[in-house]
Amino acid sequence: MGDFLQFIVTGMTIGSIYAIVALGFVTIYSVTKVINLAQGEFVMLGGMLMFTFTAAGIPYWLSFLLTLIVVSLFGMLMESTVIRRAGGADPVSLIILTIGAAIFIRGVASMIWGKGSVRIDPFTSNQSFQFAGASISPQSIWIMLIMFFIVISLYILIERTILGKAFQACSVNPKAARLMGINPKKMSSLSFTLSAGLGALAGLAIAPIMFPSYDVGIMLGVKGFSAAILGGLGSAPGAVLGGIVIGLVEAFGAGYISSGLKDAIAFTFVLLILLIRPSGILGERSVGKGGL
Amino acid sequence: MKGVQQTNWRGFFIFTALVLIFPLLISKSFYITQATFAGIYTIVAIGLGLLMGYAGQISLGQAAFYGVGAYTTAVLTATMGVSPWLSLLFALLIPALLAWVMGHTMSRLSGYYLAMATLAFGIIVNVLLVEWRSVTYGASGFYGIPNIELFGLRLTQGTTYYYFVWTIGLLVLAVSLNIVHSRIGRALRSIHDSEIASGAMGVDTGKYKMQIFILSAMFAGLAGWLFAHMSYSISPSSFGLDASILFLVMVVLGGSTSVWGAVIGALLITSISVLVHNLGLRFSFISSDFEHVLYGLILMLVIIFMPRGLFPTLVDWLKTKGWTTKVSSRADKVQS
Repeated sequence: MGDFLQFIVTGMTIGSIYAIVALGFVTIYSVTKVINLAQGEFVMLGGMLMFTFTAAGIPYWLSFLLTLIVVSLFGMLMESTVIRRAGGADPVSLIILTIGAAIFIRGVASMIWGKGSVRIDPFTSNQSFQFAGASISPQSIWIMLIMFFIVISLYILIERTILGKAFQACSVNPKAARLMGINPKKMSSLSFTLSAGLGALAGLAIAPIMFPSYDVGIMLGVKGFSAAILGGLGSAPGAVLGGIVIGLVEAFGAGYISSGLKDAIAFTFVLLILLIRPSGILGERSVGKGGL
Repeated sequence: MKGVQQTNWRGFFIFTALVLIFPLLISKSFYITQATFAGIYTIVAIGLGLLMGYAGQISLGQAAFYGVGAYTTAVLTATMGVSPWLSLLFALLIPALLAWVMGHTMSRLSGYYLAMATLAFGIIVNVLLVEWRSVTYGASGFYGIPNIELFGLRLTQGTTYYYFVWTIGLLVLAVSLNIVHSRIGRALRSIHDSEIASGAMGVDTGKYKMQIFILSAMFAGLAGWLFAHMSYSISPSSFGLDASILFLVMVVLGGSTSVWGAVIGALLITSISVLVHNLGLRFSFISSDFEHVLYGLILMLVIIFMPRGLFPTLVDWLKTKGWTTKVSSRADKVQS
């Protein structure tokens, strides 16, 4: 029973991180139809910048804010220098473009920070507490709280504000949106900024328990992408559901089968779900033109 | 036969001549080894190029087939003592079988969902190569892969293996040039332009895409076989996501809508890696990380400024200068 609960806690913690990363994917995808495979690198940058700022002696809360701002600006910069120039390229080219950006960022990061991993203090005390035989770290609670906070704020932003309406309009029909006085370029830029900020927040939240290094972004990005795909691209509730499900599958796979196989188990599960529902759990039913 | 259906064998023969004389001009063993690698990469890139440019499908897990080919022959020859020539058959068949299974599984997926599925497939295979220790010896790698023997001659590294790899590479190139200029090639091009229209014209789109997917997996398996017998040992790290993306960079850089694009992409990427290596000996800040920064930059610049890749862009540019039209009209005269 203790083991079982422990796996649930671990799965929910890591699943919440995947969910935040997946929400980053969905934010960009729903406005621009671009899948940004550099999303994981924003998470990595979040952890690494936080380390640099705190190591430079800047207070914890200020480093936190600075990291969020710098990474968000970085997302904006990436949109204006790289994504916008590709114009209306096809999905395959766009995905390759963002892979290029990811390799570039990762390479630069390894030149700046080296190959080692860094250590960052948790938000609050490091003292785990026991609950029904499972050990829960305060940082796990923080991660889940941040996830809920993001989900609620995103919901309010998209459903209850004019900006959210503009996002939705661009997603449905950019030309019509422009006729109504919405600037799709500005929305695209905003979606990248917001998404990079979300990535950084995920990076900040996970850094104290993960010890980030220059290459953590690959797997986090791929898992976030699979969470977004599993939920059904473009669906925010789907992204959260996908993230949590993958986190739980991974935690139980690692616990009951083999920790070395956990990634293989998680991805096999994603493939099996796609086999049954080719457009994800909460995705639209139209699959588009057939694949292979 | 004129126009697009015509295979330009002149280019093929010039390229063959260049491949033949390369070791005579540059005999330093480091460069011969790199040129041999370029041949192995060319085989994978041609397969991936056919898949991307002609069948319009993305694969972010191509290195998995390359790895399965390499490990199949490693296990068969080193552990079970099978002849490398017999294991070649399995290094082709097992990736093909995997591709067939994957193809059926992914037949309902498209676009980003397909990209995700191929990515997942690549990672699963890589994790299995690491974890299936009783067969693959885990992350540290597999040792003791024997050399190939041909007419009593042991093919060790160096110029002999260079010629061996490139003989096979040129064969793959010739076969692929033939395929894209055949009925299948035309069918595939029509699928790439509009799957619905070609389906309406009676092209069995699913069948052709599946065949190309299997062929590309077999090419990767063949390259894996060559790689395994070139190196004494192999490890899963050569067949991970990085390798898959490197193959993608080659194809995108050279241009996926032409078989030559893949060849040029593979040659260029190998040359860049050699260049970075040489610069790294002189300047300490240039390391293998710098190589990755460069690949990322190349990918972005090519997609933004030359979305079709280097080779097709170059051919178009030459056409506007009126060079290639002259050449091809002369070729037509020779033909007739």
